[in-house]
Amino acid sequence: MSARIKISVLLAGLGLILAFLPFNASRTFHLSPNELLDQQCKDHGFTVDEVARFMNVEDSTVQLIDLRSNAEFMECTIPGSINIPLQDLLNPDWEGYLNQSERRNIFYSNGDETATIAWTIVTGLGYENNFVMKGGMNEWYKTVMLSEFEGDRITPRENALFENRYRARRTFTKMNSVPDSLKRQYLEAKRLEESQLDGGCE
Amino acid sequence: MGPISILHEIPEWLNLTIAFLIGIGFGFALEQAGFSSSRKLTGMFYGYDTTVLKVFFTAAIVALAGSQLLSYFGLLNLNFVYVNPYYVNAAFVGSIIMGAGFIMGGFCPGTGISAFSIGKIDALFFLIGGLTGAFLFAESYPMIQSLANAKYKGPVRVDEWLGISPGVFTFLLILVAILLFWLAERAEKRFRRPDISSEI
Repeated sequence: MSARIKISVLLAGLGLILAFLPFNASRTFHLSPNELLDQQCKDHGFTVDEVARFMNVEDSTVQLIDLRSNAEFMECTIPGSINIPLQDLLNPDWEGYLNQSERRNIFYSNGDETATIAWTIVTGLGYENNFVMKGGMNEWYKTVMLSEFEGDRITPRENALFENRYRARRTFTKMNSVPDSLKRQYLEAKRLEESQLDGGCE
Repeated sequence: MGPISILHEIPEWLNLTIAFLIGIGFGFALEQAGFSSSRKLTGMFYGYDTTVLKVFFTAAIVALAGSQLLSYFGLLNLNFVYVNPYYVNAAFVGSIIMGAGFIMGGFCPGTGISAFSIGKIDALFFLIGGLTGAFLFAESYPMIQSLANAKYKGPVRVDEWLGISPGVFTFLLILVAILLFWLAERAEKRFRRPDISSEI
């Protein structure tokens, strides 16, 4: 058999293997069920008070991700969040946000369920730094927006806690009462520009 | 994990150094493959020497198969690899001009530089012509802008257009390459030109 035929057979064989491989293996689950269970058992949630503090100090190491629909997001959202509706989670456009090691991504939705599903998917894909906001928006309203201090004497700890909640409440109300057009402009400006390399030929 | 320059924040000088080293390798490979000889390059059009087809098609299938294997092993994220945007009319007109320039000049831009580096005078004039053309294009751009931007299709890939998976497309392209290599070697025998030296 001549060298040409050998190389041709080898190439065609390689092509045949490639025809059956998934195109983007980085989008398949990396973690085994045991590893995922281990991750699940570790604490991967933040309380709404912690999230309120991140928001108040504008913590740049945190990225809040609102998993609700775009309509719900435009109606009200925690300031600083980006909107990735759950069904859009695997859109390659979001990969730059999700698959990174610099910021902590905190997922939230109305309750816990959607955030936990998103957390399981991205953690299974092998992405790092994923967290959920415990209780979601329901808990946020209950604790941050509506809770009032009741009692005669306030301890310094409680004082700090309520101070934090009141500040978050003010920012939340202020940000969500701006007109939609301004909100959209702000969100567009926040969007990372898609990185592009210059292509070239020979 | 790649692509290195997008996923890792590497300093500009390192980025340029990597580009420089790849450029040296590319130039070396072009020169070693004999691409600094315009006889070899135009041989493709007359059929007596099909090295151009073999080299570039081999490069294409190696890159295609290699990038997909790297992606499979999680070493390269193909979502971040740049895909040239497709302007239908511009591609059509541009390819005619490029092909005509290629056969008349005996070089394509990269091989022109490769040939100039070993001191070929014809390559020098080819490059001056190329740069003049680029200058004229830039100066007349407002006039031909509507042509240049017409029928913009975005960064489409052939496999998406055909509706098949990239792996199947790679397999088909490898089969096409093998068929073309076979045809090319037959053409070389048929259109043999012993009077044309393969020497520089």
